[in-house]
Amino acid sequence: MLENLVDNIAQESAFRHINPATKLILCLGSLVICLVSPSPVVPLISGVVLSIVLIVPARVSPVLYGELLLGPAIFTIISVVVLVFLVGGGDVLWQFNPVPWVNLTITVGSLHEGLLVLCRVFGCSVSLFFIALTTPMTDLFDGMKRIGIPIEIIDLMMIIYRYIFIVYNQAVEIWHAQVMRLGYSRPMEAIRSSAMLCGMLFISSWNAGEDLIHAMDCRCYNGIIPSLEQAEPMQMRSLIPVLLYLAGLSGILLVVITRVVVLS
Amino acid sequence: MNIILEARNIRYRYPQSLEAIKGISFHIRRGEKIALVGPNGAGKSTLLQMFNGMIRPDSGTMLFDKEPIRYDTSSLRQLRKRVGYVLQNPDRQIIAPTVYQDVAFGPANLGYDEQAIQQAVALALRRVGLKGFERRPPHQLSGGEKKRVALAGVLAMDPDMLVFDEPTTGLDPSGSEDVMELLDELNHEGKTVIISTHDVELAYPWADRAILLLDGRILQEGVPDVAFGNPDYVRMAHLSVPTLLEVSQELGRRGFAQPERKPRSVLDMIHIIEHLLNRSCSTSRPGTISVCDVDRGWDTPLATWVSARQNLAVGAMGTSAKQRASQEHLTLDFTYGVIDKCILRALRGQDSLILTNSSMAGRVVTRVEAYCQESGTAISVIPLNTTNQSPK
Repeated sequence: MLENLVDNIAQESAFRHINPATKLILCLGSLVICLVSPSPVVPLISGVVLSIVLIVPARVSPVLYGELLLGPAIFTIISVVVLVFLVGGGDVLWQFNPVPWVNLTITVGSLHEGLLVLCRVFGCSVSLFFIALTTPMTDLFDGMKRIGIPIEIIDLMMIIYRYIFIVYNQAVEIWHAQVMRLGYSRPMEAIRSSAMLCGMLFISSWNAGEDLIHAMDCRCYNGIIPSLEQAEPMQMRSLIPVLLYLAGLSGILLVVITRVVVLS
Repeated sequence: MNIILEARNIRYRYPQSLEAIKGISFHIRRGEKIALVGPNGAGKSTLLQMFNGMIRPDSGTMLFDKEPIRYDTSSLRQLRKRVGYVLQNPDRQIIAPTVYQDVAFGPANLGYDEQAIQQAVALALRRVGLKGFERRPPHQLSGGEKKRVALAGVLAMDPDMLVFDEPTTGLDPSGSEDVMELLDELNHEGKTVIISTHDVELAYPWADRAILLLDGRILQEGVPDVAFGNPDYVRMAHLSVPTLLEVSQELGRRGFAQPERKPRSVLDMIHIIEHLLNRSCSTSRPGTISVCDVDRGWDTPLATWVSARQNLAVGAMGTSAKQRASQEHLTLDFTYGVIDKCILRALRGQDSLILTNSSMAGRVVTRVEAYCQESGTAISVIPLNTTNQSPK
């Protein structure tokens, strides 16, 4: 239900009316700054500020937002734990030798590296969530056309987007029908049922594809899928805070970089 | 006789399958409302798909506007612009990711310029009552709304003929009535409307003519009371006799004389019963029917006008009238078969108000006058803001 959920949140977001280019500038700008920062402070600040912006003025439910962050969080924490033991450098903080040929060490360098990766992932994920939770997919197609992405790819994306929900709903329906008749009660049964689900889904998608051509023909298809003009022009009211925020973040980044250079 | 579509002995066999259409001939006149009725597998959908050239008959000729249909690409485009086809499943018809893009699909592919597209889309969406839905993705719409989007997509091409496969499947009764009323409204504006359906109760009062299909052949064709009047044919086609017709037949069997014209509505039935009882149950002073044309300005707010009158029922005909009612927070008593229901009220001595648009305001007068002439009652129609329109 997640993709449905994210799209629905975006549809109802209080920031939906803001021009998508403005939101993209914020998203990509903070993404780049988080990536180049040598210190965990900058991505941490960016992540926290954007999260607050998402929850308070954009009115994304904090519980839902937390659930969404949980996905990347679990993945990142596991990776960071491994990273902390793999990377070396600096004084040894903690050492563990369970057997002679296994040496687990945590050093100052590895800890710093782990913290940096954790904060970077947090900052970058929040940047991406910002665009995903405030801008429905449908608002982005027009922008893609403007920046010169081939129209064939955009048309395909639009049709795929339209059909994600149809195929997904169909899968849910088939799955319910199987569960109701105890299709997943035993392991062997579950394997057979899921194979059947995939097969059914393939056949029905194939039919839906044929019907799609049919429906397009009925309506004089001549190679054009019309685009949805962006209703909201770029407004200074939203662009200026975005630019100010990015400038501030860049300023912090600059201070951090000079400190790193001076220290070394 | 102005024939728009004609079939001459057409036959069609699906590849490696049984023959689906086994020699059918019929014609459809311009401005008619046709119901194609039959059981599953009778060939309804196959036949409908021949109307816009999606299926080419193996033998026989299909004629549109007195010309045989040609199956080259440019002729088919011309044909499909003039014959709008709405599929049974709107999810299969809606192609684009937003309502605006989907409705604009036809006009854009017909090569309209940007402004003309916007105009066509705005008009079509207003027709079906979905103004303001432009940016919504279809998967967030209800079944009835999806049906309307599919219909708007076809209306945006401004076709002469509308072909609607099962317009009411998957809709709740009020949704079905809304769609049928919309089809009525479109027909009233001059479009020929053809639907396929199982629902005899809906098709019986709606259609000008019904075609009963069974096993790839026409079983019966004619005005609804003839088409649905033969119990043997109705049974063979796995349908049922419409309740009104059944009651009328049963009264006939009991020796009560039945008029030539069979009852098509509750109003007709009441009229027959009163005639049989040889007394009128109506009050001596019939109520009035006020008509408000929402397309014209009117100073008094509707809600104030309505609340000033006790025991007044409000009905709305047409999408714009219904929208106006919801804007003014008016509760509508009738949204379907409005004129008949208001006449029934008037016969009981109660007043009603009909909200309608300019194109349908004349229809109220015509219908009420026709009824008054037939039954010898005098129900007055009071135009609130229309100039007294002469019946069309």
